[in-house]
Amino acid sequence: MKALESFMQKIKPKSDGKFPLAYTVWDGTYTFLFVPGHTNHNGVHIKDGIDLKRTMSMVVLALIPALLFGMYNVGHQHFLAIGEITSADNVCSMFWDKFFYGAKLVLPIVIVSYAVGLGVEFIFATINKHAIHEGFLVTGMLIPLIVPVGVPLWMVAIATIFAVVIGKEVFGGTGMNVVNVALVARAFLFFAYPTKMSGDQVWISLGEGKAIDGFSGATPLSNVIEGGVEAIPSLMDSIIGFIPGSIGETSVIAIGLGALILIATGVGSLRIMLSMIAGGFLTGLMFNAVGGNPYFELPAVYHLVLGGFMFGAVFMATDPVTASQTNTGKIIYGLLIGVMAILIRVANPAYPEGVMLAILLGNVVAPLIDTIVVNSNINRRLKRIKTA
Amino acid sequence: MELFKLFIKSAFIENMIFTFFLGMCSYLAVSKTVKTAVGLGAAVIFVLVVTVPVNYLLETLVLKEGALSWMGEEYATIDLSFLSFILFIAVIASIVQLVEMSVEKFSPSLYGALGIFLPLIAVNCAILGAALFMQQKQFNNVGEATIYSLGSGLGWCIAIVLLAAIREKIKYSHISAPLRGVGIAFVLTSLMGLAFLGFLGFEL
Repeated sequence: MKALESFMQKIKPKSDGKFPLAYTVWDGTYTFLFVPGHTNHNGVHIKDGIDLKRTMSMVVLALIPALLFGMYNVGHQHFLAIGEITSADNVCSMFWDKFFYGAKLVLPIVIVSYAVGLGVEFIFATINKHAIHEGFLVTGMLIPLIVPVGVPLWMVAIATIFAVVIGKEVFGGTGMNVVNVALVARAFLFFAYPTKMSGDQVWISLGEGKAIDGFSGATPLSNVIEGGVEAIPSLMDSIIGFIPGSIGETSVIAIGLGALILIATGVGSLRIMLSMIAGGFLTGLMFNAVGGNPYFELPAVYHLVLGGFMFGAVFMATDPVTASQTNTGKIIYGLLIGVMAILIRVANPAYPEGVMLAILLGNVVAPLIDTIVVNSNINRRLKRIKTA
Repeated sequence: MELFKLFIKSAFIENMIFTFFLGMCSYLAVSKTVKTAVGLGAAVIFVLVVTVPVNYLLETLVLKEGALSWMGEEYATIDLSFLSFILFIAVIASIVQLVEMSVEKFSPSLYGALGIFLPLIAVNCAILGAALFMQQKQFNNVGEATIYSLGSGLGWCIAIVLLAAIREKIKYSHISAPLRGVGIAFVLTSLMGLAFLGFLGFEL
């Protein structure tokens, strides 16, 4: 550590030197590695010593289980699809083969997302002459986890540039964005290149192998519309995550581990997670009672474990920047997203992935929810004064 | 049930702002604070709910081909629909005049905040747009036309209030100078439109 720090100090470029970009890059890396030593001399309002980069590292830490499981599952689905294993086999058979196969496909996406996103961020920080605040840490990890494994790398790069520039930097950078940056990237991909983001070709990598007979590469959610309720995998598989889907979204257990870390460190809001799950579950129950197309009949608990619902609830909706800021607002916001996610999924067969759009909608409505909550608080207190 | 579907469809799926981009000028200009946005939204809803049914009656009783047959056999072949633009606008302008006078009388502060955009509702594309869509959709009765106008007005109102709330939130962001004001509102509208795409294709 000491050696690293003295090395960093040695190569420190001048902030007003010939290459301002070099200083931004150095400053971003240095403050990522070490907590900055400078302190304020007059009034500070900090309750906690952890700065933004440390907070965001917690989220990255919480995403690691989902990432590792995602790599494993990519391999698992690959070998399942080419028939080298069957679903009856022990999950540990060919464990490392599966893992390395997945890692080979997932790591390039992670690297591209980080490299492109950080590049854009460094350029903007240099132009706007401010330090790197959060440095794309979380977004860079989220984007790979919510795309299908078959997505071409150049699309990841374009979506990342679009999301960082239009979603974040035009609003002034970290903490100023209105909608979730990673979701903007995914929505961009979804609407710009629909064939690469849905259907039955993209979710499972076949590699050199050839698919076995009767193989379907579609996600369970899109299978439901054709095969009816019988087409869904067992509840156990959906919870552990042995189903096709975006890289990081399949396993409820891995996401749950992340949720524990987020809740324990106080980074993610338990209110939002619970109210979103409650909203989704109740809407699911309601549709079960009504009946109609196969989505209506999908048991409510499946609505929660299939697709990106859990991932959205834990990592996307809880984004502290774009969520509601007030406590009452958080509950309303969570409920709204949960209800909308299932509503879009059920009533709109074109978008089985309603969670993404529901959270974007929640982000858009969040400021209004806050305004209403704050104003009703003010009115209530005014009334109390008048009656007293 | 049919009416409810029509209402949801006109408010969210065929949202005036995010699907048809109608009424953008006042949407961008009056969305700086939530309070004035609500005021203008309410005014637009009111004008729509009054003008569309009136225009509907005008359309079915006077303008449409054969609409004049109630006056006698010899009028049954007359088609006055080429007059619809000018008559619709005339109806809208007179109703807006009425709204303006009542807002000035009952809420002078709102009148001041809305400024020129209150009389400009008369040329708000969303209002004439709704009247022309009404003509195109060939509703069966006045009830449907009223529900349709209520839905589209509400959709417009929701859009402007949402934008106003977001703009209040980003008031203190470090937006780069060239984008401040209307520029960022355009970017915001596009992102909101992305979120509203979720409604597109709803099967009701």
